[in-house]
Amino acid sequence: MKDKPTYAEAFDELQTIVASMEEGEIGVDELAEKVKRAVALIAICKEKLFHTEEDVKQILKDLEEPEQP
Amino acid sequence: MPEEINNRKVFSLTEMAQSIRNCIKHHYRNAFWIKAELNKLNHYSHSGHCYPDLMDKSQGKITAQMRATLWKDDYRQINRRFKEVLNEPLKDGIKILFLGQVKFDPVYGLSIHIIDIDPSYTLGDLAREKQETIRKLKDEGIFSRNKSKNLPMLPGRIAVISVETSKGYADFLRVVDDNPWRYKFFHMLFPALLQGDKAVYSIISQLLRIQRVQQHFDLVAIIRGGGGDIGLSAYNKYELAKAIALFPLPVLTGIGHATNETVTEMVAFQNEITPTKLAESLIHRYNDFSNQVRTAEVGVIRQGQKLLQQKKEKFLNLLHLLKLHAAGLIKEHKNLLTDSGREVRLHTNFITRQNKDYVLEANKRKIAQLPGVVLDRESKRFKTIITGISKESKTSISKNQIHLSDAEKSIRQMHPHNVLKRGYSITRKAGQAIKRADHLVQDDILETTFFDGKTKSIVIK
Repeated sequence: MKDKPTYAEAFDELQTIVASMEEGEIGVDELAEKVKRAVALIAICKEKLFHTEEDVKQILKDLEEPEQP
Repeated sequence: MPEEINNRKVFSLTEMAQSIRNCIKHHYRNAFWIKAELNKLNHYSHSGHCYPDLMDKSQGKITAQMRATLWKDDYRQINRRFKEVLNEPLKDGIKILFLGQVKFDPVYGLSIHIIDIDPSYTLGDLAREKQETIRKLKDEGIFSRNKSKNLPMLPGRIAVISVETSKGYADFLRVVDDNPWRYKFFHMLFPALLQGDKAVYSIISQLLRIQRVQQHFDLVAIIRGGGGDIGLSAYNKYELAKAIALFPLPVLTGIGHATNETVTEMVAFQNEITPTKLAESLIHRYNDFSNQVRTAEVGVIRQGQKLLQQKKEKFLNLLHLLKLHAAGLIKEHKNLLTDSGREVRLHTNFITRQNKDYVLEANKRKIAQLPGVVLDRESKRFKTIITGISKESKTSISKNQIHLSDAEKSIRQMHPHNVLKRGYSITRKAGQAIKRADHLVQDDILETTFFDGKTKSIVIK
């Protein structure tokens, strides 16, 4: 699994987990693991709602760079 | 009639207005054919009358603007003809050629009474240009290009094209930054002129700047507000509409006007009536996402509990079934065992008989192999015993030898020779040793043995 999914990936995975849970496809052993994963994914989604990583300074710096041919 | 106040000839406003009315009535006795842009039709559905806003422009600037009246019956007739000729009703933004009479009303002021409109006259500059722009974009297949762009679920990084001091920009920021859910948006202003002919170049150049840093943004928001409805023709310009249609990021517009949609707004990914509405639509997407995450969260908890409950019930059912089955099986097997026992006995007897010889043979072989082992073991034991015995017997013999020599001594002393030596003698009669005197009678011949010889004698009684 990769380091940290984007919120969109996290959201998709979350929906998949919920769907598979609703269809009762998950065994008891798997359940704890899936719930744990779901909690982590929810945290990633919520994080994105309330935080942003963009920086005006960086964008201005990028704008000053000579245009790519 | 004018009054005389402080040597001044003073008219009332009514007198003045009536004078103007008379003047105009006199001067504009006839109706004239006039061309103008029907900026707004202003049709009142209740009364059925229209109060059009007429306009004339030169090089993008308004050079004349007047109110007009178009009465219900005339409007109906003209509108019908417009639909017939143009496939379009009489509407805002078209250029019209109309027969009109200038009128002045003391209360309502100057206006032009529209008597007739020639529908065959080409569409107004704006509308024609607009139609032309739309046609060109459609012909090039790019009219819906921006609409097919992907707006992320959380469109939180916004490149804003607006005027820093405009009311629309302030409205937008207020909604986005002060949202009660505390959603965090990132926005950066790319200032541009938003009205008049210069707006086209100004907006396009900012779009180019944004394109260079597009990886930092999710969308472009073009925001204008509080500027009224004039000066929007720039948004129908082909160059601007094309730039927006082809822009790599979704472009959302909130240009804030009440007239009909410009081409720019038509080709934009999404158009909202005002900057506030645009900001609200972004918040709405956040709410949607948030709600879905929340639903998923609740779903995970509920489904998790439900699944556990289900598994628990299933387990208990299984346990119950297991117990039932186990009891049944035990009973069954018990019976089977009893039966088997019986059979085993029967079979054993049979097999024993059958295998007796074989077993015996095998045992024989085993037994034959045994003596060697046993002998070996026993001989060792035997040796030990013998060693013990020989040791013990030596001791015993030497002990008994002492006893023997003592006994020999005693025996030797008991020997008749030795007894005779000590003075004893043996008297025999006819070879029989005489032990009693009364065994003798007169004249018996006796033989007496001494240690060194014998002598004969006769008994005298």
